[in-house]
Amino acid sequence: MTKELEKILPLVQKPARYTGGEYRAVVKDKSQVDFRVAFCFPDSYEIGMSNLGMRILYGVMNGLPEVWCERVFAPWGDMEEQMRAHHIPLYGLESGDPIGTFDLIAFSVGYEMAYSNILNMLDLAGVPVRRADRNGSHPLVIAGGTCCYNPEPLSDFVDVFSLGEGEDVTVEMLQVCRRAKAEGWSREELLRVLAKVPGLYVPSLVDVTYNADGTIRAMTPADGVTLPVLKRIVSDLNTSYYPTQTIVPSTEIVHDRVMLEVFRGCIRGCRFCQAGYAYRPVRAKDPELLVQQGIAACKDSGYQEMTLSSLSTSDYRPLEALCDGLLDYCAPRDISLSLPSLRADNFSMGLMQRLQAGRKSGLTFAPEAGTQRLRDAINKNVTEEDLKQSCRTAFSGGWSSVKLYFMLGLPTETDEDVLGIADLAKKVLAWGREYGPHQRGGVRVTVSTACFVPKPHTAFQWEAQVDMDEYMRRVTLLRENMRERNITYNWHDPDTSFLEAVFSRGDRRLGAVIWEAWKNGAKFDAWSEYFDLQRWLDAFAACGLDPHFYANRERGREEIFPWEVTSTGVSRAFLAREREQAYRAVITPDCRKQCSGCGANQFCPGGVCDA
Amino acid sequence: MPKDRLLFAKEGRACYISHLDLMRTFQRAFLRADIPIKHTEGFHPHPFISIALPLSLGFSSACEILEFGLLAGTPRREVPARLNAVLPEGVRVLECYEGTRPMRELQAIRFQIQVDFAGDVPGLCQAWGELLGRESWIVEKPSKKAKSGSVNVDIPTLVKEYSFTDLTENGVTLLATLSAQNPGLNPSVMVKALTDACPQFPPEFVRYRRLEIVDGDGNIFR
Ligand code: SF4
Repeated sequence: MTKELEKILPLVQKPARYTGGEYRAVVKDKSQVDFRVAFCFPDSYEIGMSNLGMRILYGVMNGLPEVWCERVFAPWGDMEEQMRAHHIPLYGLESGDPIGTFDLIAFSVGYEMAYSNILNMLDLAGVPVRRADRNGSHPLVIAGGTCCYNPEPLSDFVDVFSLGEGEDVTVEMLQVCRRAKAEGWSREELLRVLAKVPGLYVPSLVDVTYNADGTIRAMTPADGVTLPVLKRIVSDLNTSYYPTQTIVPSTEIVHDRVMLEVFRGCIRGCRFCQAGYAYRPVRAKDPELLVQQGIAACKDSGYQEMTLSSLSTSDYRPLEALCDGLLDYCAPRDISLSLPSLRADNFSMGLMQRLQAGRKSGLTFAPEAGTQRLRDAINKNVTEEDLKQSCRTAFSGGWSSVKLYFMLGLPTETDEDVLGIADLAKKVLAWGREYGPHQRGGVRVTVSTACFVPKPHTAFQWEAQVDMDEYMRRVTLLRENMRERNITYNWHDPDTSFLEAVFSRGDRRLGAVIWEAWKNGAKFDAWSEYFDLQRWLDAFAACGLDPHFYANRERGREEIFPWEVTSTGVSRAFLAREREQAYRAVITPDCRKQCSGCGANQFCPGGVCDA
Repeated sequence: MPKDRLLFAKEGRACYISHLDLMRTFQRAFLRADIPIKHTEGFHPHPFISIALPLSLGFSSACEILEFGLLAGTPRREVPARLNAVLPEGVRVLECYEGTRPMRELQAIRFQIQVDFAGDVPGLCQAWGELLGRESWIVEKPSKKAKSGSVNVDIPTLVKEYSFTDLTENGVTLLATLSAQNPGLNPSVMVKALTDACPQFPPEFVRYRRLEIVDGDGNIFR
């Protein structure tokens, strides 16, 4: 640790976030590696260290003997201030070396509100923020993560985007980069070769032109480059890397526990859900292997908590067997096992009861919409009867509070649907009184609503987001019709949802806006203590761009979308069909019942998904 | 009442692990090392671990004491190596032994206080030495507990011994034995009082290290 750093650490909050040195942090001998990677997470240490994907790729990269991958997180405001005042550039946690001297800077981007932090971190590293200002003497800047399914808004700042699951493509990319370094290729040459690696998108090799109305006329790739770039997936999760030996932070983080991924993908096909489409097809892991890995991870870390992380855990066929296997190990050792994202329809009470023995606090369901019609429209296949059964078993099993999550502003939503949320909440309350242990008063229902954000690569990618005033009108309508004492209503502030809607479906012209907002101090936009909508609105004005064009405009059927430089493997025709079905409130069966021909089977051996 | 103790050092990057986080780190380290330890009784039993005299964030130490109860099956002599294999960088167990003396006999702590000051170092030593050598020197120290928001501390009464060594043109090391408890004196409080009283000698940076813990007679405490 340098003396400069030693001087500032006593002046900042939670300095353990900035020191590295945790158990299982990978420290290599600099002289034994030929390629150094700064793996950046554009949010705080506590958030970044809670990310399983980051831990996986850290392990994958450090598994290469010639490569040393270090972690970098966004310093909180007090630390940034001290670093800038003392001219300490952003450094890798493992070595303490400035990352501006590394070969590669890689960002994991899962949330649009982190964009400003990417710029800020590059700047703190002393690396020119815009790719046009960088050359071969600077680190290559790459980004991956779910946001990269629309890479365009970040294309002024990032040299290469990695699409889909990173386990394999990261290794291929590193081999190319190492060769380029050894053979002294120019940056241009390197980018051209990387553009040929499946799953990598190089924005500098694509030219975009626009129509007079602001929509895209054409996206033209340079010679030898093909569009769209198809995402990569790991075909066999049983043989792919899982970090049973992983860093145990010395200070508290958000998800401080063993995270076990039971499968990737989701069979459900909720029409609003980007993850549901983007991670197709579903691929499950073998339960015996999961039990082995879960036990190994607990032993190695000393964690006393384990969670199964997947999109819809209850769709995992051998869930009972898996839980039995894990509980055999966990229960006698007081290790708690939690199962988020259980569905209301095949909710297994026996399972929940065994898992949460003694801890009956809250139960969470996400019906997403208040009426059956709207739930059918979004293909969220949960019925009121399902919910009733689940609540009944939950309440009679001793649970006394239920959290319900909804979205407001879903396509085709009417006031009747909004009021349906109030109805449903009241019914849950009544079921609680009927089946609950404490006949009167004991039951609590918490209703939360978020403003719907139409996402690229979903059935609703054409849709307009309702404007903020309309969202607030619906919030008020709901609030006024849901005044019961035992119902708490929380609504998500629409400002960030609006910006999310802008950036998730934005084009590359938005780079200027991000730049402008960052220049004016934007950072940590996911945090209310830093977020300022006005700063962003000013940036749009300064750039002569209208945010409503991106958030609140319904797209034409034939419009070319900026995110179509990428492909999730799910076809546009399928998404368009799903949108039509939504308008008719017709549900699409899940992948297990029947294949609907989305196109993701191209990733499966023999062209058939094993849902 | 558990009677096992660890003597451990906390250095380098580990200096920034807080007291609470360090307890959690040890809990997990015992599990990683597969060393079963005693738990508290009651409704939510948790491993019994207590670290004496919390070390301020940023300080290093060669003499921290952790109390716990070893369950049958692990010989004490194996504990240091097994824990050291699974502890984060900078936390190092030096010894595991049976604790016999009550913790209240731990009376004082020897500190090494490295003062960076590129100025009149002899002047600083003289001015600071004069203050520490007084019969009584009462300073006000902010306190969350006191109603008035501060308490008075008579510093020389809590400084058992002090000396200046390694004087160079860039600073000096102050060795000081300070009262450990009831009441204890944090060396950073002392240095702040000295700095405030001698504004002509502002240190650029001060590093603190616990060297040894002693009893009322000045003998090493274990
Ligand atoms: S191809 Fe069929 S089974 Fe496979 S993910 Fe698409 S809809 Fe589901």
